[in-house]
Amino acid sequence: MKAFVPGIYPRSEQLVQATRDLDRGRTSQEAVDEQVERDLAEFVSVQQEAGLDLLTDGMLRWQDLFRPLLEASEGLETGALTRFLDTNTFYRAPHATTATPKLGGSLDERYVAPLPGPRLVTLPSPFALSRGTGVPALTIAQNVLKPALEAVDADLVVLAEPFFGRAKGAAPSELDEPLAALAGGPRLALQLTFCDARDALEQGLGELPVDAIGIDFYGTHLSDVPKGFGKLLLAGVIDARSSTLEDPRELASFAERLHDEREVEQLALVPNGDLQFVSERIAREKLLRLGAAKTATVEAAA
Amino acid sequence: MKLLTHEIGSLAKPPWLVKTSAGTPLDASDVEHARTWGTKLGVDDYEELVETLERGNPDKAELGRWASRYGLRLLESAGIEVVYDGEQQRTEMYAWAVEHSDGFAPRGTVRSFDNKYYSKSAVTAEPSLREPYHNDEFTFLQSVANHDLKIPVTGAYTIAVWSYDEHFAPQSGRIGAGHGRSEELAARREFANDLARNVIRPNLESLIELGAKWIQIDEPGASTEADELDIFVESFNESVEGLDCFFSTHLCFSDYDLFFPAIEQMHGCKQFCVGFANYDTRELGTSGAKRPGYEVISKFRDLPYEPILGLGVLDIHTDFVESPELVRDRILYATEVFGDPERIHVCPDCGLRTRSWEVAYEKLRNMVEGTKLAEEALATAGATT
Repeated sequence: MKAFVPGIYPRSEQLVQATRDLDRGRTSQEAVDEQVERDLAEFVSVQQEAGLDLLTDGMLRWQDLFRPLLEASEGLETGALTRFLDTNTFYRAPHATTATPKLGGSLDERYVAPLPGPRLVTLPSPFALSRGTGVPALTIAQNVLKPALEAVDADLVVLAEPFFGRAKGAAPSELDEPLAALAGGPRLALQLTFCDARDALEQGLGELPVDAIGIDFYGTHLSDVPKGFGKLLLAGVIDARSSTLEDPRELASFAERLHDEREVEQLALVPNGDLQFVSERIAREKLLRLGAAKTATVEAAA
Repeated sequence: MKLLTHEIGSLAKPPWLVKTSAGTPLDASDVEHARTWGTKLGVDDYEELVETLERGNPDKAELGRWASRYGLRLLESAGIEVVYDGEQQRTEMYAWAVEHSDGFAPRGTVRSFDNKYYSKSAVTAEPSLREPYHNDEFTFLQSVANHDLKIPVTGAYTIAVWSYDEHFAPQSGRIGAGHGRSEELAARREFANDLARNVIRPNLESLIELGAKWIQIDEPGASTEADELDIFVESFNESVEGLDCFFSTHLCFSDYDLFFPAIEQMHGCKQFCVGFANYDTRELGTSGAKRPGYEVISKFRDLPYEPILGLGVLDIHTDFVESPELVRDRILYATEVFGDPERIHVCPDCGLRTRSWEVAYEKLRNMVEGTKLAEEALATAGATT
């Protein structure tokens, strides 16, 4: 049993104010950088307190899931401001200016910060990054994500996929080649965030060439997980779009059901998407409850 | 041929108001801001504000009213015909509404985009109106405005979809339960309609009693959930049905195709003001190929109750200042598609609060200038046919 927190973590109220002040010319980039470092230290401390197994940097400088990769790529740029799923948060949709975009340089420490322990990195999946660009996901995987992965030192890379589960007619087989192109480096997880993964699971999501699959269990029924699921399952049991705080006992009980009823042997408890859709205060409490659920599950099993 | 210009809603707040609200001391640059813009916009008696700021320890409410005067004059002096105050006295369109209603609890700050954020609350009980929350502002603006007023009011559906739901939706037993979408939809419908009946409608009735002629129901969240558009429409109708006023709706940053056919049932909506420039090119030209951001407008044209289209011609997410010629071409494309210029109003895509006053002012002046160019072009075309 593991637990960790992929995705973009919310900024503290202090960092919110600092970035607002920066935009208004009332503070310096140095002051914002210092606040980012304080936020990062606090976030790491909370993860350690919660007993999470892999640390993340919370992507505190990422404006959205795509921006640093777009800025580091030749032939990809930011497009129209676009609503992220059914949230009131927006992102700059990727826009391609060539048929063969490529990563111009690796993501530096601003976007993949050094951490004091085994780490997890989140990147967009090839399907998500290629969406709307007209560039095949395989090309994006080979030319942009693969070089980014090669420069990353991580125990697990979670490829966040917010769109696939909602795309009508999309079949997991479309992801097979792009994901295979990313193999050979760090262990990979494909996480379908904020969606009902039933159709994808029925069509062989679990057979894709990655080490782990992430499922949102606020959209997906327990019984939709194939019995004897053979990969590490990232179980999205914290609802990142709800202010309601989860009960660790309920989370632990659900983890037991995944094991008992669906015969899931490798399990990690995670949020069902980026925690940035709740405030930092709420996210921190949810994170601590995630850790408490993991501890309760491990103790119950012992 | 006259094409009406109007604003959409918010403007940035002046630094002397922001700092005072935050309890931050003012400095000479703030006083200079008040003086420079007071002169530039022709704000009556602005010297009184300058003296107040120089004295220090200004009253927040008084500064709010001064900011309203400045916002109003900024729009009026740019040449906009139907105006408001840039929502200077409101905290923010969502926060203001829930702060003045019962049944909500604050839940912190969430990112909107980049370094922009908004305060988000949770509904924790049946929502109700504590007191009509736009009356003081509207009454004050009636006393100082030179142009006609249009009051922006945040709509029921947007408030619902921007809130966490700790009351109407199930709070436990959700993990792995595969709760059907029908349960979520039922909860949202109840929430939005409660808001429409108990919060929005009493506000509208109160404003109409005070003399409001045009009320804009802001619904930037309307297309958040593609399968909830009937809830948006139902809550709009619930809010305005039977009330005697010109009601419009503001929509922005959406896949506008999603709204059809749902909004065919919004018979009480006389105008849709919609952001398009964000999706358009910056090239000149009046052909469909040059105006991809406006492709969807024919669907608004074909609505059975023939509403006016408030045509968004300014991208509010960038400091790029649209030239009058670009504004002109966007309007001419729209008038050609509609075949009836009287069904076109001209406006920004959305509120300009994320732009500096300098940029907002230049954009708005060019919007007015571009509208004049379009009027001239339409007049010339009319004379030759």
